[in-house]
Amino acid sequence: MRLLLQYVSTYKRAALFAIALMLVELTVELFQPLIMGKIIDEGILQEDYRTVITWGIILVLLSFTAFGAGIVNSFFAAKASQGTGHDLRRDIFGKVQKFTGKNFDQYSTPDLVTRVTTDIVQIQNFLFLFTRIGLRAPLFIIFALVMAFTVNRDMALILLISTPVLVLFMLLVSIRGVKLFRFVQNKLDGVNRIIRENLTAIRLIKGFNRTSHEEKRFHGINASLRHTNKQALWLMEFAMPALMLMMNAVILLILWFGAGELPMGGVEPGELVAIVNYATRMMVNFSMFTFLIMVFSRGQASSSRIAQVLQEETPAYLDDKGKPGFDLEGGIEFRHVSARRGEELVLKDISFHGYSGETIGILGETGSGKSTLLHLIPRLLDKEKGDILLDGKELEEADVHHVRRQISLVPQEVHLFSGTIRENIRFGNPEATDEEVQEAAIKARIHEFIHTLPEKYETKIGQKGVNFSGGQKQRMSIARALVRDPAILILDDSTSALDAKTEEELLTVLREEKRTVMITAQKISSLRQADRILVMQEGELLAEGAHEQLLVENDYYRSVYESQREEGD
Amino acid sequence: MADRKHAQSAAFTGRPKVDDMKSTLRRIWSYMMQEKGKFYFVLLAIFISSSLSLAGPYLLGVVIDTIIQNPERSRVMMLLIYLGVIYLFQSVFMWVQSYSMIQLSQNTVYRMREHLFNHLQHLPMAFFQKYQQGELMSRLTNDMENVSRTLNSAVIQFVTSVLTIAGTLIIMLVLSPMLTLLTVTVVPVMYYGMKWITKRTGTYFKNQQKNLGEVNGYAEEMFSGQPIVAMFSKEADVEKEFAEKNEALYESGYWAQVYTGFIPKLMNMLNSLSFAIIVGGGAVLALNGFVTVGLIVTFTTYSRQFTRPLNDLANQFNMILSAVAGAERVLSIIDEEAETTDEKEAVEVENINGDVAFEHVHFYYDQEEKALEDVSFHVKPGSTVALVGPTGAGKTTVVSLLSRFYDATEGRVRIDGKDIRSLKRSALREHMGLVLQDAVMFHASIRENIRYGRLDATDDEVEQAAIAARADVFISKFRYGYDTMLDSDGKGISQGQRQLLSIARAILKNPSLFILDEATSSIDTVTEIKINEALQTLMKDRTSFVIAHRLNTIRNADLILVMEHGRIVEQGSHNELVSLGGRYADLVSKQAAH
Repeated sequence: MRLLLQYVSTYKRAALFAIALMLVELTVELFQPLIMGKIIDEGILQEDYRTVITWGIILVLLSFTAFGAGIVNSFFAAKASQGTGHDLRRDIFGKVQKFTGKNFDQYSTPDLVTRVTTDIVQIQNFLFLFTRIGLRAPLFIIFALVMAFTVNRDMALILLISTPVLVLFMLLVSIRGVKLFRFVQNKLDGVNRIIRENLTAIRLIKGFNRTSHEEKRFHGINASLRHTNKQALWLMEFAMPALMLMMNAVILLILWFGAGELPMGGVEPGELVAIVNYATRMMVNFSMFTFLIMVFSRGQASSSRIAQVLQEETPAYLDDKGKPGFDLEGGIEFRHVSARRGEELVLKDISFHGYSGETIGILGETGSGKSTLLHLIPRLLDKEKGDILLDGKELEEADVHHVRRQISLVPQEVHLFSGTIRENIRFGNPEATDEEVQEAAIKARIHEFIHTLPEKYETKIGQKGVNFSGGQKQRMSIARALVRDPAILILDDSTSALDAKTEEELLTVLREEKRTVMITAQKISSLRQADRILVMQEGELLAEGAHEQLLVENDYYRSVYESQREEGD
Repeated sequence: MADRKHAQSAAFTGRPKVDDMKSTLRRIWSYMMQEKGKFYFVLLAIFISSSLSLAGPYLLGVVIDTIIQNPERSRVMMLLIYLGVIYLFQSVFMWVQSYSMIQLSQNTVYRMREHLFNHLQHLPMAFFQKYQQGELMSRLTNDMENVSRTLNSAVIQFVTSVLTIAGTLIIMLVLSPMLTLLTVTVVPVMYYGMKWITKRTGTYFKNQQKNLGEVNGYAEEMFSGQPIVAMFSKEADVEKEFAEKNEALYESGYWAQVYTGFIPKLMNMLNSLSFAIIVGGGAVLALNGFVTVGLIVTFTTYSRQFTRPLNDLANQFNMILSAVAGAERVLSIIDEEAETTDEKEAVEVENINGDVAFEHVHFYYDQEEKALEDVSFHVKPGSTVALVGPTGAGKTTVVSLLSRFYDATEGRVRIDGKDIRSLKRSALREHMGLVLQDAVMFHASIRENIRYGRLDATDDEVEQAAIAARADVFISKFRYGYDTMLDSDGKGISQGQRQLLSIARAILKNPSLFILDEATSSIDTVTEIKINEALQTLMKDRTSFVIAHRLNTIRNADLILVMEHGRIVEQGSHNELVSLGGRYADLVSKQAAH
């Protein structure tokens, strides 16, 4: 909630103005019963036309004032709530842009998207309600009491005594209600999860004949959802009639008291009407309490989920403009580098030296730390210990963006953006000319394919590239990396979907160019031409050397080679 | 109060499209009508509580008149007791009606969910290919939830509103036609005011929904692609584009909220106005002796009781429309035709020897797309069949026909000489072990995930299967071992590890017929060799169908089917096909090119 205050403070003026206007409305509403009493007492009962008309006009004018205030309030309240939402969205989005692998380990994409959308909508609703009616319920009750006292002290006393009882009642109901609805949400999540699982696993479920098993599973959670839902709703629906009954009892009490006092002149008829009127209106405001507390608790939950993201630790160096940039030649050196993913130490004391223009292959099982090692170079991940040097200079001494501009990493999982093929390739270098885009595509062995498409480079890529095969997407992703002509090219298992011939051609082209290439792969065929191969196992560098050398010296390398060689002869 | 109502229904002001309101309502009705008695009981309770809520203000007026004109203690006392009884019963019946309605609506929704889910289980595979998962998910959850929320309150509110309006109008007319006329003067203003506002909110809400969708889509794309964005130092560009979308959302959200904010204010103003009209006009009438002061007080209450439900009705109408639209989308899934039931004379299968034959099988997913064309082959019991070919060649379709996810459009599939259609689906699948390319896991422990293969397996059997699948090695490295919880989105374990678990699952089932659809594609070669050893022993006496890319998995097969464009272009053993010098030989030399 503190976070929220901090963000709302940007729109302090709008929010305060909205609240001030809300108070105007409130005041008018409070005076209405008073005027009504006056009209009855001094107008109708005294048979005084003029009083009725004068005060009638005042009443109408006041309600127009309140209407005007309410309309203007709408603008300011909307500005405060939408503005806050806008700023929060902007900042979360910006924050996520600074995320590194460490942060991403904790959030899934849908999870983050929910925070930018649904959670912020919740907060906006809360703010809008708060700046419009939030203070209204409590203030109305207090003011109504004060006004009642000015009308008739004795009758007001009855109202005053009953108020804390009713407030306490509503508070207890709301607190319980919030808790019950949290249970409901949990059950609902459970129902949704089973449905999602069933949609993704439908082949498995059918294939394993587990239909009735799934139905039983769903039946259990569905029945339990129904149960908690009933509990929560019953409570909330109990609150309203109970509150009405209590408030009506208070009205009866006032009437009984008034009836006793009236003949003795202690109470005027108009006063009695006014007090009864205040009491009825207070009832409405009490019931509003429940609703406000619900919205508040939802807003609070959302706010803390958002705060969690905004408070994620992201590297400060991303904003540090003070460091010098330097032009890379392609030398890479690791000195005793260790790195973690979550708790786990996934890179242990790695040292190697790659020279400018070399091709360095990395072989290892899934989970051996290959990807982690590669992601350290453009600082998409940060190391824990050791030194990484580019051309002999400490990586951390350089401006990170300047370094990244000279490196291209093609990740294992291809990610293309919606847009045309040309736009996607040019993503690597916004200044690239059409010729340069085409040249990159030729090198990545995708140009010919693109030319068979009716719209060629202007072909739209569907969401995440659904309309292309894995190999085509990989090659586009490589073209995107090449178009910026990087000093260091990093291929993280990104040739896996290419057939052997295409892969061979591609690697040959890359080798001929003057740049350092780091490549990981499952197939030895993709690595054997490398100047040097690093063999990794469980985060450690097992061996280093050229293909022929490793065949002789390293048992593990040889066993992998043997396993793949059978295929070939 | 009006503010609160509106906040809830604001999101529905963008009027949803409903195709066939009547029949949808009738069907929801039929779910509800399984508890007819309860429904009529709810109606009765609403009727009583609404009547009482009308009687209350009337009696209140009488009480005030009595107190002012003739404050005789015993008479006042009696009237107050009457009023107290009315208040008491009003609350009791309000509670009763809500209590029963919640029961009724929750049972209804429960039945719909149950029906929907069970139906989903019996839908053919083709259905799941027709829809995007997100789309289906939204129908099954959001739309269903929308129906649930609306049913809870809408029925009561709708009936109450209509009853209250009608009742109030009647009582007002009986009491004083003149004051009634004064009361309804605000109705036209309200009608046009609401129309003016909703016309605007409708557009803005639609825009807001659209802009929110764009923000959502863009965030989704950029969050999942963030490493790429960071790699290419595109943060600033991406943030700028997001800012544009964010700005648009702000704009539409702002105006939607502003206009929505007008509604309760308008209602408040009209309430005060009608109050003033009644008091002012009433005073004139009272001075002339047409009405009493008590009657004026009564009418000020009635005027509120008259305008509020009108406003509610307008709001509920949108809410109900949106729920009906949701229900329609839910019901359309229930309308999908279920998997054809087994043939009448379909029989149980005691055991399967594994003699499999495809006889001139053709298959179409839909009219245009031919997935299989004249596929014929014959497999002797206990042999291993490898399916080879590029993506989209029809390999998965072949095994899908075998497990009867689909039925052949033309031709025949036989198992042990019997037409596959003469066997019960469940009986057939009971004998099959399926390992699929995307190894899906459930939100449960590793142990339970493996046990999915055979629900009555002991812990020991589960662990034996894991050992056989070479999964034991990595499982035992987890702190909680077999009790490690898995997530359905597979966080925490790698694709390769998931594949090992799904192999363990199939091993545990101990099937007569094995189907491995790219089951080892994400497993590194060394582990793959180990699993293959295990699988070789397992597959020894059972017929197995293997789809794989790596040649060493394929070369030992008894029969290799080379597929292209839905046809079998070559079949035979490794040596036969190599010496044939066709597609397969081509493939082998390509892969060997290192």
